Amino acid sequence: MLGLQIIVDGFAISSLYALGAVGFTLIFGVSGVLNLAHGGIMVVAALVGWYCAGELGFGTYLGTLAGVAAGLALALATYGIVVRPIQRSRAIPSAETEIFVLTGTLLWGIMIEQGMAYLFSDNPVTIRPLIGGVMNVFGVRTPRNEVMIAALCWIVIGLLWLLVNRTRAGKVLLAASINPRGLTLLGFELSRVYVLVWSIYGVLAGIAGVLLASFLGVGSANTGPLTASAFSIVVLGGLGSVSGTLIAAYVVGYLETLTAYLIAPTLRPIPALILLVLAIYIRPQGILGRR
Amino acid sequence: MRSLSRSRLLWGAILLCAAVAALLPWWLSAYILGILTVAYYFGVFAMAWDLLFGFAGEVNFGPTFLIGLGAYGAAILDANFGQPIFVCVIAGALVALVGGLLLALPALRLRGPYFGLVTLVAVLLLQNFIVIFAHITGGEIGMTVPDVLSADANANYWYALAFLFVCTIILFGLSRSAVGLILQASGQDAIAAQALGFNVTKHKVAAFCVSAVFSGMAGAMLVFYEGAASVDTVINLSIAVQVIIAAVLGGRRTIIGAVLGSIFLILANEFLRPLGQLNTFVVAAVALAVILFFPDGFLGYALRGRQRE
Amino acid sequence: MRTALQLPQLARPTIAAMAFAALAMLAPSARAADSGPIKIGIIGEQSAIAGASLTKAAQLAGDEINAAGGLDGRKVEIITYDDHSSAAEAVRAFQRAVHQDHVVAVIGSYISEVALALEPWSARLHMPFITPGAASTDISKHVHDEYEKYKYTFHGWLTSAFIAQSICDFEHDVMVGKFHMKTTVIMSEDAAWTTPLDARYLECLPKAGLQVLDHIRFNPDTTDFTPIFNQIEAKHPDVITTGISHVGVQPTVQWHDQQVPIAMVGQSSQATTSSFWKDTNGATEGVVTATGAAPGVAITPKTLPFTEAYVKRFGVSPAYCGYSSYDDVYVIVDAIKRAGSTDPDKLVAAMEQTNYVGTIGTVKFYGRNDLYTHAIEYGPGLITGVVIQWQDGKQRQIWPENAADATVKFPAFVKLRQASAK
Repeated sequence: MLGLQIIVDGFAISSLYALGAVGFTLIFGVSGVLNLAHGGIMVVAALVGWYCAGELGFGTYLGTLAGVAAGLALALATYGIVVRPIQRSRAIPSAETEIFVLTGTLLWGIMIEQGMAYLFSDNPVTIRPLIGGVMNVFGVRTPRNEVMIAALCWIVIGLLWLLVNRTRAGKVLLAASINPRGLTLLGFELSRVYVLVWSIYGVLAGIAGVLLASFLGVGSANTGPLTASAFSIVVLGGLGSVSGTLIAAYVVGYLETLTAYLIAPTLRPIPALILLVLAIYIRPQGILGRR
Repeated sequence: MRSLSRSRLLWGAILLCAAVAALLPWWLSAYILGILTVAYYFGVFAMAWDLLFGFAGEVNFGPTFLIGLGAYGAAILDANFGQPIFVCVIAGALVALVGGLLLALPALRLRGPYFGLVTLVAVLLLQNFIVIFAHITGGEIGMTVPDVLSADANANYWYALAFLFVCTIILFGLSRSAVGLILQASGQDAIAAQALGFNVTKHKVAAFCVSAVFSGMAGAMLVFYEGAASVDTVINLSIAVQVIIAAVLGGRRTIIGAVLGSIFLILANEFLRPLGQLNTFVVAAVALAVILFFPDGFLGYALRGRQRE
Repeated sequence: MRTALQLPQLARPTIAAMAFAALAMLAPSARAADSGPIKIGIIGEQSAIAGASLTKAAQLAGDEINAAGGLDGRKVEIITYDDHSSAAEAVRAFQRAVHQDHVVAVIGSYISEVALALEPWSARLHMPFITPGAASTDISKHVHDEYEKYKYTFHGWLTSAFIAQSICDFEHDVMVGKFHMKTTVIMSEDAAWTTPLDARYLECLPKAGLQVLDHIRFNPDTTDFTPIFNQIEAKHPDVITTGISHVGVQPTVQWHDQQVPIAMVGQSSQATTSSFWKDTNGATEGVVTATGAAPGVAITPKTLPFTEAYVKRFGVSPAYCGYSSYDDVYVIVDAIKRAGSTDPDKLVAAMEQTNYVGTIGTVKFYGRNDLYTHAIEYGPGLITGVVIQWQDGKQRQIWPENAADATVKFPAFVKLRQASAK
């Protein structure tokens, strides 16, 4: 009984982690940027979604869509205002660009967090579940909303897979992640590719944020921890590898759930962090990453 | 000849500033002195960071890992074992040193974004540990220490100033010494430095240790100024970013610039206080603007300007 | 070669020195005045659900006093500071209040860790300090153990020990008396105020008729309460006895969404303000919490006028610390009047003699020889707090029973008498 509980509970949270982390790794794989404002995009999507759904009275469905749209807009803003100017800046020596981009996105993340705290206070908000009530999953009483969220995560990840592997645009993305120079030689404009990948990222992070708000609740104070958990998973799975990220998300999600149930809820984040430290020392490229 | 007179002038300038700063308590209110006190400790944080970045070429995204270890090490020792303050400060520095070594030795083997990530992860780990062992560390909200350096604003100010002065002399001196030049070389072009026969890794580890000791000491001193240690003031990522910004603002690779940057940043934070919650937002926005348009910082910009003449 | 090249080098530090001097001109050098406005510093957590009431209620009190002519013609000036729920920031705010703003007293925080960080500074700087919302028993214990040093600190809310006692009394009357419950699990956040709370719970709950099956302390940073609720449910208690303040929205919403079939009763600080219904999208239906006062129920003649004025001005009802913060402003002003001065030692002596009818009862402080020196006295006719339950969007008082204005009812998914299901 407890085992089934752990399996069901862990699955939902891992799926959410997976969705959040996949976008993060996509951005790194294709454009080489570690976006430390990642948590900020999820939080903004959640807060805007809550605000539109409740305060503005749009209702849960429209509110959720508004939240995702906000995530998309913010991701593009991050690219246009922070990342691209730094990458193109002539005042920064090219060896230090990466560092400046990291610092820049970190600062941007702080701005987002403080801005949100100012507008909405730092209390967690929850979006009303899209479907209320509970259902029986293998004998475990589970909120219907939780099942739906896990399903949605996988549908989105599936759509992403289709996009990357079956559409022309997706193949361009793959190519950009392997050899950007080669791509430009073939006549593709890299800047358009980057806009595309940041847009996809914005939608992914937006959906993740809105679903998290519906499942557990999100507040501006979650900005840092969400970024941290995403990049822990991505480093564990291998920077730039989508399948590695998916695997790592489930490893981390289940590690946390097992710890919370079997050891103590207080110690929940520790095993994953220890695993991360070990991974960095023993195998820094992660499970499936390329060096 | 010019470089000799330049450095003599620089040292002279440092002494002059120190003298002026020491006289300030006769003009300024206790409150402004308090702000400057924090700014001086911050200056040491930033200088220690600049030594590592500017000279060893390693970006430490978690200076607060070292600062936090020093701060909490000293605080826990004082709260639980009642040792005198200066013992706790030394202990804090040692804890930071050990932590720094544990972090640095494996991490310096990594390249690219991995080192930066490791330092970030270190901060997270420390933050989580503090929160989980809340009964020893006071958790997220913080812990108090029974002893403070002084309840008098003037005395605290002079302690901080003296501490800053000594650290500046040591760190600036280090940067101008032979060791500093080797570090600078390794930071700019590790392969060439190695080709010249220098043990780059050994020097980088040494730089890390120096950075750790000074960060830890300054963190401990800050705790004994405020009488409290909390995640928000010594570990939080926004503090780490402020340290980095202070150093960048003042000018990377100048050491002294870091002090100027810190003072400017802390004062700016204060003047923006009436904005309430938005003041961190504005400071972060300004810092972002600096990174985008002004990445060489005050001193860096001025010095490079002169080099072009 | 030329001195012109060397000038910029010297220019910078000189400019810096001049900037400092310029700062000096700008810096005010006022001293605390014995005439002019009476300044009271309020340190609160303005983004926290419960903490926001602190500063607002004090502001309300200050404005009311001034509208009535102030204290012998002197206006009361309320200066607020936000400590962002951090002990070190609160300390900085305290130092600013004393050194820069020259306040005569400080009202501060509902978080015990913060109040405990401010207490030594109140002692070092000889600044009268009262906390309207923290609960840790250590606050008043320090005053008892080292009176001369810590006498400037007052504890303006019920200590955890008394909060626990009042909840035990409630559970004895209602959960055991009416619903014939037999077992409970204690669920509280790992914080300074819950250590004495839980200790008292463990002592008085069995005496109230409830066997304690388990005692869970969780990290205040927790966002996912599913494992905790599952752990509790596995023990099949009749009721969950809570002690939460730092968290509130998430455990309540998740309790509701997962339809945990056990009632939640105890102290939930966030649930004491009316905005909590909206914050949880109504999930708080059926949650029971201790608080200072319930909307619409007059504990003293001052309760309702205060609540109405607060709602009118701020749009939500005050959290529990709003009542005490409001009272504390009046208590301080009253003490200044009786002492005839703002001198810290005289003010402290006058505050010890307080016998003031506030919004939630009569405020009196325990004396030097009592265990909880300078804490507010607990008992009928003094301050006991009340217990409310959220029903249909409103807080209804359900205890003490002679003042109750609603009957206790739980949402459909709560199964009463779990033990009988075994």
